[in-house]
Amino acid sequence: MDKLLHPEIGLMIWTVVTFAGLAFILARFAWKPILAALDSREDSIRQNIRSAEESRKAAADLRQEYETRLAGVEAKTRELLAQAETQARSLKDDLVRAAHSENAKLLEETRKKLGEEERRLARDLRAEMAQMSLHATEKMLRRGLDKPFQDRLVQEALGDFEKWTADKK
Amino acid sequence: MNFVHTLEHHLLDHVYSRFAVGALSLPFSKHLLMMWLSAGAAVLILVLAGQMAQRGKRNRFVYFIESLTVFVRDEIVIPNIGEEGRPYLPYFLTIFFFILFMNLIGMVPGSATATGNISVTASLALCTLFVINVAGMRAHGVAGYVKSLVPHGMPVWLLPLMYPIELLGMLTKSFALSIRLFANMIAGHIVIFAFLALIFLFGKLWVAPMSVAAALGINLLELFVAFLQAYIFTLLSAIFVGSAIHSH
Repeated sequence: MDKLLHPEIGLMIWTVVTFAGLAFILARFAWKPILAALDSREDSIRQNIRSAEESRKAAADLRQEYETRLAGVEAKTRELLAQAETQARSLKDDLVRAAHSENAKLLEETRKKLGEEERRLARDLRAEMAQMSLHATEKMLRRGLDKPFQDRLVQEALGDFEKWTADKK
Repeated sequence: MNFVHTLEHHLLDHVYSRFAVGALSLPFSKHLLMMWLSAGAAVLILVLAGQMAQRGKRNRFVYFIESLTVFVRDEIVIPNIGEEGRPYLPYFLTIFFFILFMNLIGMVPGSATATGNISVTASLALCTLFVINVAGMRAHGVAGYVKSLVPHGMPVWLLPLMYPIELLGMLTKSFALSIRLFANMIAGHIVIFAFLALIFLFGKLWVAPMSVAAALGINLLELFVAFLQAYIFTLLSAIFVGSAIHSH
C-alpha cells in the first residue's frame, strides 16, 4: 500500500500536459463561445429590463401629465360655472329691479291719469248737474223767477251737490 | 483471499508500457488512459456545447452546460476574486470539468479513478500554485507581488522568518489541495471494497444483500462526492488566487 503515496513523475508530466492541452482547447472552442453567449444574453436581458423600466417611467410621466391637465380642466370648468352663475344672478337681479321700477312708474302714471279723469268727470258732472237742475227748476216753476232768486236756487243746488260729492268721496 | 492485494489492485495504477524520453520514462497506464478518456469526453461535450451556443442554438443540453458554467462563474470565481477573476475563468472552468469528468468516469465499473492517484492531484495542485503566482505577479508586478507575500507593516527583522513561513504556507495549501482530492476519491472506493469484502469474510449468503445495499449507498454518496470535490478544488483554487490578487 505504500505505493499509493508515491508520486510518479512520468504521470505528473502527462497530467500537466493533458491539462494544459485541455485548457487550451476548451478555452478556445468551448469557454469563449459559451461565455460570449451568456454575456450577450445577459446584456440583452439587462437592456430589456432597462427599456421596460424606461417605458414604465414614460407611461407614469404621461399619466402624471394627463392628471395635471385634467385637474386644470376641472378647475377651469368650475371657475366658468361659477362665473356663469354670478352673471346669471346679476342679470336676474337687474331684470327684477328694472321690472319693479317699470311697474312702479306705470302704477304712478295710472294713478295720476285716474285722478285727472276723476277731476274732469267731477267738473263735467257738476256743470251738467247745474244745467239740468236749472232746467228742471225752470220747467217746474214755469213762471219766471227773478234772476237773483234763480241764482240763489242754483247756488243752493250746487251746495247740495258739493255736499253729496263730498259724502260720496 | 488476500484483501490487501485485491485493494491495491483496485486503487493503484496499472502501467501497461513505458517509453523513455531522454532521462524521463513516461508510463502508459490505466489512470493515464482514464485521464485521456475524461479529457476526450470533456472536449467532445464542451466543444459541442460551445459550438451550439455560438450558433445561438438552445436546448436542454446547452442550458445544462451553461448552468454549470454560470455556477462556476457566479458562485466560485466572481465572489472570491471579483471582476479581476474573469480572465482566469477558462482555467477554473477547465479544472472544474476536468476533475468532474475524471471523478465520474472513475465510477464506471471496470474503470479507474484518475483523481484517486496522488500524482494526478499533485499535478493539478501544482497548476493551481502556478496560476496563483502568475495572478499575483500580474496584479502587483513581480516586485510588488514578492513584497505582498508578507503582511504589510512587518518589522524588517521579522522578514527572514516571515518569508519562509509564507512560502511554506503556500506550498501547504497546494499540498492540502492535492491530498484532499486524492483522499476523498479513494476513500469511497475503500469503503465500498470493505463492504463487499465482508461477504467473503463471513462466507455466508445472508451478508450479501446487506453488503450490496450498503455499497450501493456509498456509491450514491460517491456520485455526490464527485461533484463536491470538483467544486471544492475549484473553490479553494479561486480563494487562493483571490487572496494573491487582493493581498495587503
